[in-house]
Amino acid sequence: MRKLLFAFVGLLLAGAGARAHAHLDRASPPVGGTVRTAPRSVTLWFSQKLEPSFSSAQVTDAAGARVDQGSRVSGTQIHVSVKALPPGSYRVHWKVLSVDTHKTEGSFSFRVGQ
Amino acid sequence: MFSRSLCAAGLVLALAPLEAAAHCFVGARFLPATLVIDDPCVADELSLPTVARFNTGDDPSARQLDISGEYSKRITDTFGVSIGRTWTHLSQPAGMPDVSGFQNWETTFKHQFLTDAAHEFVMSAGLSIEWGATGSPDVGAERFSVLTPTVWFGKGFGDLPESAGFLRAFAVTGQVGYSIPTSSSTLTVDPDSGLLNLEFHPQFWVYGASLQFSFPYLKANVKDLGLPDFINRLIPIVEAQFSTPAANIDGNPSITTGTVNPGVIYAADTFQVGLEAIIPINRASGTGIGAVVQLHLYLDDIFPKTIGRPLFSTASAASKP
Repeated sequence: MRKLLFAFVGLLLAGAGARAHAHLDRASPPVGGTVRTAPRSVTLWFSQKLEPSFSSAQVTDAAGARVDQGSRVSGTQIHVSVKALPPGSYRVHWKVLSVDTHKTEGSFSFRVGQ
Repeated sequence: MFSRSLCAAGLVLALAPLEAAAHCFVGARFLPATLVIDDPCVADELSLPTVARFNTGDDPSARQLDISGEYSKRITDTFGVSIGRTWTHLSQPAGMPDVSGFQNWETTFKHQFLTDAAHEFVMSAGLSIEWGATGSPDVGAERFSVLTPTVWFGKGFGDLPESAGFLRAFAVTGQVGYSIPTSSSTLTVDPDSGLLNLEFHPQFWVYGASLQFSFPYLKANVKDLGLPDFINRLIPIVEAQFSTPAANIDGNPSITTGTVNPGVIYAADTFQVGLEAIIPINRASGTGIGAVVQLHLYLDDIFPKTIGRPLFSTASAASKP
């Protein structure tokens, strides 16, 4: 019984220092938000370090056409350069692989203009 | 058995490919481990402990304390096995002695055969087995085994139109099973009267569902409201589980029993904590309001390169998203 208890405490301690799935922590423009002026880039911040070769993001307009010019991964961030965005709704799609080899993905919208 | 699994896992780790799947992620949707019903994915997880306190449906009721644990292990990316057991303490009505003991061992084999990331939809099928005569009859553990073929599903509503707004953060999960005892009846002799008593073991439909609202999903995929991190990790949930006698009912009540369980799950990076009330749906299901609390460890996150991986992965090597 005591060995089991020690093993369980060991699990908890291991968990305290463990890396986990990379979740989207915040974004600019913000998730579901509206910005008055068109951004020159979209930045995503994640909860874990990312594997650059296996992490990326794209931005599409309301018609589904890509308006980004590629993404760059640095640590926990993805920077996506975008073309000049006219007022409208845009969607960011991201897929990442955290350094502990876990995949996560997601998407969100933001609006440019009023 | 646990240490053997660890050793086996260690031996095959070098063969595992680079990319790991997760606990219950379906596209952008994370479905937490539910406390009362089972979630629809296979995973490397440890629920320890789950503590439940409630009044039984007996007349008069007994107060029951259950402390249980369950270890789930992926054999492949889509096939997993879980094993669990419950220790029960029954505080009997006045005049009857309290009793304690283990329930029968339980094992579930599950195959996650459908994962539709775009529609946040997942389905699994499997077989749960309660191994007869492995627990204490004092706390109701039967001498016969019970086989329960079960189908599980999960569906997130993130694929609703943008106009649906916060509704996109909702998800449902559920399960439907049919429990079949390996013995249809038990013949006993009353020690006082000497009369024979034939007790039938009914077959049951066992089913349940959960409705959950995911603040993590809301923040990352719908609208970041700037809420505190603690709130953004909460998943308010209502679970319900039911059992309806279906066959071989003779001499047994044919009433549906079950509970409704409102509560909340806090999902951290490597573990979750869940707390739910236990509300019986009728007198045969219990009296009063009980509670269940669970600590659940995501072993695939705690040990991503060792015991948190499938023993034999069938996934292809990692590809660029």
